[in-house]
Amino acid sequence: MVKKKVPDWLNSSLWSTTPSAASSSTATTDTNIFDHHSPTTASPPLESPINPPLPPTAIRDEEQQQPRHHHNHHHPQKPEIKDKLSKSSIVDDDDNNNIIINNNYSDDNIINNKIIITNNDIRNVDDDESSAEDISKQALLLTELSKKVINMGELRRIASQGIPDGAGIRSTVWKLLLGYLAPDRSLWSSELAKKRSQYKHFKEELLMNPSEIARRLEKTTVLNNDNGKSESRCVLSRSEITHGEHPLSLGKSSVWNQFFQDSEIIEQIDRDVKRTHPDLHFFSGDSSHAKSNQEALRNILTVFAKLNPGIRYVQGMNEILAPLFYIFKNDPDEEMAACAEADTFFCFVELLSGFRDHFCQQLDNSVVGIRSTITRLSQLLKEHDEELWRHLEITTKVNPQFYAFRWITLLLTQEFNLADSLHIWDTLLSDPEGPQDGILLENGSLMVPPVGYKPVQYWTEETLLRVCCAMLILIRRRLLAGDFTSILKLLQNYPPTNISHMLYVANKLRGQPSH
Amino acid sequence: MVLVLALGDLHIPHRAPDLPAKFKSMLVPGKIQHIICTGNLSIKEVHDYLKTLCPDLHITRGEYDEDSRYPETKTLTIGQFKLGLCHGHQVVPWGDLDSLAMLQRQLDVDILVTGHTHQFTAYKHEGGVVINPGSATGAYSNITYDVNPSFVLMDIDGLRVVVYVYELIDGEVKVDKIDFKKTTAATHSAH
Repeated sequence: MVKKKVPDWLNSSLWSTTPSAASSSTATTDTNIFDHHSPTTASPPLESPINPPLPPTAIRDEEQQQPRHHHNHHHPQKPEIKDKLSKSSIVDDDDNNNIIINNNYSDDNIINNKIIITNNDIRNVDDDESSAEDISKQALLLTELSKKVINMGELRRIASQGIPDGAGIRSTVWKLLLGYLAPDRSLWSSELAKKRSQYKHFKEELLMNPSEIARRLEKTTVLNNDNGKSESRCVLSRSEITHGEHPLSLGKSSVWNQFFQDSEIIEQIDRDVKRTHPDLHFFSGDSSHAKSNQEALRNILTVFAKLNPGIRYVQGMNEILAPLFYIFKNDPDEEMAACAEADTFFCFVELLSGFRDHFCQQLDNSVVGIRSTITRLSQLLKEHDEELWRHLEITTKVNPQFYAFRWITLLLTQEFNLADSLHIWDTLLSDPEGPQDGILLENGSLMVPPVGYKPVQYWTEETLLRVCCAMLILIRRRLLAGDFTSILKLLQNYPPTNISHMLYVANKLRGQPSH
Repeated sequence: MVLVLALGDLHIPHRAPDLPAKFKSMLVPGKIQHIICTGNLSIKEVHDYLKTLCPDLHITRGEYDEDSRYPETKTLTIGQFKLGLCHGHQVVPWGDLDSLAMLQRQLDVDILVTGHTHQFTAYKHEGGVVINPGSATGAYSNITYDVNPSFVLMDIDGLRVVVYVYELIDGEVKVDKIDFKKTTAATHSAH
């Protein structure tokens, strides 16, 4: 057993496994700064019986219709849910509405995580209370989704608490949140058909190689070498080429030349696609599913690169694309799953539109570029936790670029496993405060916008920064105790954490700090 | 969509110093998947240069080649097509279609590429197609001094081949193309 003494921070009630400790902990031991304004901040926009969502590890029986083989290969970084603890899942300090999912820490400072989800696993270890809440959330969402005209504000409110994994809800909700589906249900079929045919068109136009292009152009001019069967020997006739279109052409407008110039990008895309989520069978491996999924990713990224010559393809876009495609492809509705590629393309464009500037190197130093966003994160941290900020920026000189760059540009997909990323994205995409997708009337209701209006994505960035800030604050003890190397190590391999709690803290950062 | 470059009879350095500049500017690495060379390079430096254009290089021996290790004939399969390669000085009369057709039947290929005459030709007969890419440098031949530099680029796409003929005429590069399909039925039908 252990010989050395467990450090104090590990013993804090936050990590405690005993029910008594859990009941008294409010998960604010590391976040003392919130204490004085917790009574005063408005409680998170929840009705009290509904607790913040459990991490996606708790999946109900009925929802497990679709195969979940991919979960087999999640990183073993999930907190384990214990029966006895969830009973005391906290609704204490009413306005704190916390759930403590205990992370098991053994005495040896080794995190005792286990892979939770296996094939068709019914991970319903929890008691009725939390699953009831899960059902009710699902029911709420389903009700909302089945309305003829969906109230986006309401949807955002519910979705920001996390979307349950089953019944393809997430797929539909994300499409709504990203503006791909209009709030008015009656328009869905026509819109979808239009978009999907548009994507098909893009693919045909842009993904054709020059031989095929030449062949298509030629169909009009008939060359019948085959019909010279009567003459079994002849000199083959030469024909002129149009517009100097030959494979070695160096002309700018030449189809061939463009093809070869694009081939570099296509190779890069290919390399990255092969490296996406190597642990998930959905994306990698030799199965035909994996291959066709990779093919879809490749197509989407290539079409995007060709349609956007200004930004082309930048490494990392594949990581942002992967969760979208994963969700849409796993939609239990067959028709939706079949057209997942087209749907993902448009949603990807929409999602990226808010963050494009992060990928453009020329804009790095500008007001909209990544540097300025990182500075904003720094500011946010300074506002909410000056001590930590000072320690990081000044004492240990950890340049936020070293860790925040990846957090921000890749929307946290690389810091957490897929399931956690999905949960975080639920919150990122559905910020209830932000959306200018309607006009707020005086009586508090939202007037639904005309069809075709898309919500602005910029507020997603605000949420993202808050989450990043929360990530820093949650491990402040370790950061404050660390030096440059250990801090960087910690932040570049962010330790496994309770996602719901993290999102809760992020939410709390919304108000102005009172210190 | 496989690009195959066919050229030969450069006779560097004995009869020509180098490829024409306009040809050289077009031949950049990364575009071509295979190179087949009929022979008479004649020196190793040319071999190395061709290797930089494309790593997959096939050469047959011409009578002036200094490297005696090149084979007399070569066959390879690219896509749906079988290609045969031979310098052509062995086939007498030089450039005669019947004799070349015999060689083609011997090698059992769809496309036979030979050189030696330094004249571009492209024939079709029952056995298949015979292509002579000419001399890439315009070096004089055994028969004539009047030679235009030329080479051939084949775009093999399934059962179809588009042959692009590059010639340097009066200092300008002219490109023509020839299109033919391979019939899947046996080509040796009795006529």
